[in-house]
Amino acid sequence: MSAKDHFIIIGNGPAGNNAAEVLRENDKKARISIISTESFSFYYRHRLKDFISGRIPAEDLVVKHYSEYKDKNIRLRLGQFVEKIDPEKKILYLKHMEKINYTKLIIATGGSPRILPSLTIFQDYLTMFSTYSDTVGLRHRIEKAKEIVVLGGDLTSFSFVKSLVKACKKVSFLLFNDAFWPISLTSEMILKIEENLKSHNVATFFNDSVEMIKKSKSKYTIETKQNNKIKSDIIISLMGMIPNIRFILGSSIDTDRGVLVDAYLRTNFKDIYAAGDCAQIYNPILKNYWVSIGWMNAEEQGKIAALNLLGDSKIIEPPKEEIFEYEGIKVNTSWWKKF
Amino acid sequence: MNNNPIKEKVRTNTILYSKDPRDLSAIAKNIPCQNACPANTNIPGYIRCIYEKRYGRSYDLNRMYNVLPGVLGRICSRPCELMCRHGDSDLGEPVSICYLKRSAADLKSPMHRIKENLYESSGKKVAVIGAGPSGLAAARELSLLGHKVKIFEGNGKHGGMLMYGIPEFRLPRDILNIEVENILRLGIDIEYNAKVGDNITLDSILKKFDSVILTTGCSLPNQMRVEGEDLEGVYNGLEFMKMINDGEKPEIGDKVIIIGDGFTAMDCARAAARLGAKDVKVNMRKTEEFMPIDEKEKFEVKYEKVKFYSLVDTQRIIGENGKVKEIEFLRNRLIDSATASGGRAAEQIENSEFTLEAETVIIAIGQQPDPTSISSKIKTDGNWIKHKKDSFQTSVKKLFAAGDCLTGASNVISAIAAGRKCAHEVDNVLTGKARKDNVVRFEMINSTDRQRSFDFIEKIEIPSLKFQDRFKSRISEVETGYDGNIAYEEAKRCYLCNLKYEIDVSRCIYCSACIDVAPRDCIKMVEKIDLKKDPSGKLIETQDWNKVTGIVIDTSRCIRCGVCYEVCPMDCIYVTKTELIEYDLEG
Ligand SMILES: Cc1cc2nc3c(=O)[nH]c(=O)nc-3n(C[C@H](O)[C@H](O)[C@H](O)COP(=O)(O)OP(=O)(O)OC[C@H]3O[C@@H](n4cnc5c(N)ncnc54)[C@H](O)[C@@H]3O)c2cc1C
Ligand SMILES: Cc1cc2nc3c(=O)[nH]c(=O)nc-3n(C[C@H](O)[C@H](O)[C@H](O)COP(=O)(O)OP(=O)(O)OC[C@H]3O[C@@H](n4cnc5c(N)ncnc54)[C@H](O)[C@@H]3O)c2cc1C
Ligand code: SF4
Repeated sequence: MSAKDHFIIIGNGPAGNNAAEVLRENDKKARISIISTESFSFYYRHRLKDFISGRIPAEDLVVKHYSEYKDKNIRLRLGQFVEKIDPEKKILYLKHMEKINYTKLIIATGGSPRILPSLTIFQDYLTMFSTYSDTVGLRHRIEKAKEIVVLGGDLTSFSFVKSLVKACKKVSFLLFNDAFWPISLTSEMILKIEENLKSHNVATFFNDSVEMIKKSKSKYTIETKQNNKIKSDIIISLMGMIPNIRFILGSSIDTDRGVLVDAYLRTNFKDIYAAGDCAQIYNPILKNYWVSIGWMNAEEQGKIAALNLLGDSKIIEPPKEEIFEYEGIKVNTSWWKKF
Repeated sequence: MNNNPIKEKVRTNTILYSKDPRDLSAIAKNIPCQNACPANTNIPGYIRCIYEKRYGRSYDLNRMYNVLPGVLGRICSRPCELMCRHGDSDLGEPVSICYLKRSAADLKSPMHRIKENLYESSGKKVAVIGAGPSGLAAARELSLLGHKVKIFEGNGKHGGMLMYGIPEFRLPRDILNIEVENILRLGIDIEYNAKVGDNITLDSILKKFDSVILTTGCSLPNQMRVEGEDLEGVYNGLEFMKMINDGEKPEIGDKVIIIGDGFTAMDCARAAARLGAKDVKVNMRKTEEFMPIDEKEKFEVKYEKVKFYSLVDTQRIIGENGKVKEIEFLRNRLIDSATASGGRAAEQIENSEFTLEAETVIIAIGQQPDPTSISSKIKTDGNWIKHKKDSFQTSVKKLFAAGDCLTGASNVISAIAAGRKCAHEVDNVLTGKARKDNVVRFEMINSTDRQRSFDFIEKIEIPSLKFQDRFKSRISEVETGYDGNIAYEEAKRCYLCNLKYEIDVSRCIYCSACIDVAPRDCIKMVEKIDLKKDPSGKLIETQDWNKVTGIVIDTSRCIRCGVCYEVCPMDCIYVTKTELIEYDLEG
């Protein structure tokens, strides 16, 4: 590769960082840039729940400090939003009106919280989080709150509830089992979850659903289908993640649930790859597309995308266990146990 | 309006008219919503009326071009909103043009007086075959132009796909019936259950009428041509929706698979959910991005818990004891294609077969016209009616065709626009002269009371029934509409692109105050204006003050916020209201 190369990675998560490391190890000359909408350096997202409930300080979130990028001659552009990609001209358009040329690109934009269509009318009353900046204000609100309702539609919701209980909050939990993400809960699993939450003194509302949310002053009341009225200072909605691909729509890069790539993590454009939570990969053994939501998969995919970008032909193997079907797409969740 | 036929700009006080192609083309560029509307509806005009709470006037402005405003305000495919300037990437979301149209229809007085401009009777008789939107629009226009019209409708009710395709939870039938009645009241005769090519011949109609317009839509469902299509429990989308709209309640079970991704497929999915199906899946060959429906419709379908399955291709429908049991699919990938929509086609992935269980399968993969069932005389190319280029004239003398039967399955606003245009062509033939033409009307106005703060109002979604209330009755209208206050707030969002802000260069002192306050790059320093006789002229910009010969507002970028007008120390910015109007050539 020549010094004229400019490899850009959109996304400063595990996929983006692993890709950058591999690129730098194998190419000392190329310009490498990481762009991220977030202003906080690379951090562990799964620790956010403990940060919100006040159990760990912000320093404990960090994986890599700014100086480490400098040492490796990787340019980190924080707080910058890629608004559009022109794959023909190889230009990225940033929200602050800057244009950047790239020679090769890795899209590693992860995901954002999913909001259930049935809850969108109450959107203004719901709090969701997936980034450090989402949690900064939330930490203070949680500190002051006495009663908290968690609308639980994903695996994070269970560990988050436990974190709140440890922080001495009164927690109510409404399970969204028919929209649970990314797995379908069996009745045995539901029973176990209920038992477990009750043993932590969590008020559980299973087989129920949100009918209405009202706000009076700073207090919310959730009215449920089973005529329960639950009071709360904050309503946290945790319904899983959807890939961050909105900004790609209309660019001619193929997307479905995520950015469509083959087993080499190549998109339909030469020189553009996708890795991590935002990628949707076809696998001939599964006879299906799969999306991998998880830290370790993102790391692995980041590395493979970078190697292939540099000329290698590495195939990403599908995870062999714990694959669940979600709206026709296989979702791998094996990593949750490893954390 | 000026009484003389308009040849060039004529000044009447502060009102000017022009037929200059450059002015007509500027209108198209400056008012993107109106240009995108197949019927050229005066959108900023009617939105402004809503802001002024003149709902009746707003309704009338709509009805001039689109004879079913209350209907379209509910189900229009909204090509205008896709092009609305407010939806440019740096400006937020488009104005809710369609909901506003509905609000004018809902909020006007219940006994609103409808005004029609009637021409003298011509003594000519025209038959229209098919009482869908296209036929109704043609019939109304021909009636206004003085011709005696009779509609032959094959079904027992009028409305075409509005009655038999679109479900009642999207379009209440009282709204449709009132608006159709308002058309028929012009003295139009209608004969129901008159199916041309079946119980009445085209020839007999051609003999009795001076002209005949075919507006029979698309009634032939596309077949998938896969094994199992004839199993019990497999329907085509049109047949299924007709059953639903006739009030039938077919037994469909819990697991329903819809194949297709257009209007019909979505309606079938939502109707299936209302029949009590627990697991409704919409399966499509490509991805959501390529679905020919808008984001709002996608949202509504998902809200009703219908699941989308993308990148799948049906291989065969598998049955047991003559009844559908499951479907075998192959996965698809997207590939380049010069002919497919969006430049991408679906390609099957080898050895990727899988099956999904189903108790009912509804195939809604489009429909085609069926002209040969009407008469073997009509020359066709496959199922497509042959017609003169840029004309509605078919191969049969006196026989014209418009709407979906000519273009293939499209949408209601295109069908209405085509019906009206076809009526004008028929009128030309019958009278031997053109009676209407388009002209640009310019009116100098002092300023506008639009405030910059209006630009930051967020789009207001239409209030709709909550999930559980949608299923209490199969026909409850899902969208409940804007009230006057919401309509007023949403109307404020419209930039009123029909206002043209210009700088009088002779007064400009080049202080650049306007450029400094401009919200985007809408005011340009110009070296030269490359004027042409046709609309291809353009601004030659410069950044070098020494070369600047004028400061010009780029009307295609201008959001009519008025801040330049406020700040100009020399009062050299003037505002003109520009409107495309239909001009009566006979005066
Ligand atoms: C609360 C929470 C708990 C979790 N718990 C676990 C767990 O226990 N175990 C586990 O394995 N995983 C867990 N995860 C998931 C895990 O964090 C993700 O799978 C992983 O971070 C995905 O990595 P990624 O590199 O693909 O994307 P991300 O880490 O999501 O990074 C995406 C990056 O892209 C940037 N970006 C997005 N769009 C743009 C744009 N248009 N322009 C510029 N930059 C953009 C973002 O700013 C961000 O830097 C959890 C996630 C959350 C939110
Ligand atoms: C389920 C469904 C949902 C749709 N949803 C929308 C939507 O939300 N928005 C939108 O813009 N468009 C929608 N469309 C498309 C839209 O309805 C059509 O594009 C439009 O109705 C076409 O109008 P038309 O007048 O050309 O034909 P049609 O509406 O099809 O009307 C044709 C008429 O001709 C009659 N006819 C046919 N053959 C004969 C004959 N031989 N003799 C006498 N009469 C005959 C028919 O009975 C019918 O009344 C939808 C279509 C379907 C099927
Ligand atoms: S802002 Fe108003 S006039 Fe301009 S394009 Fe949108 S709806 Fe039309």
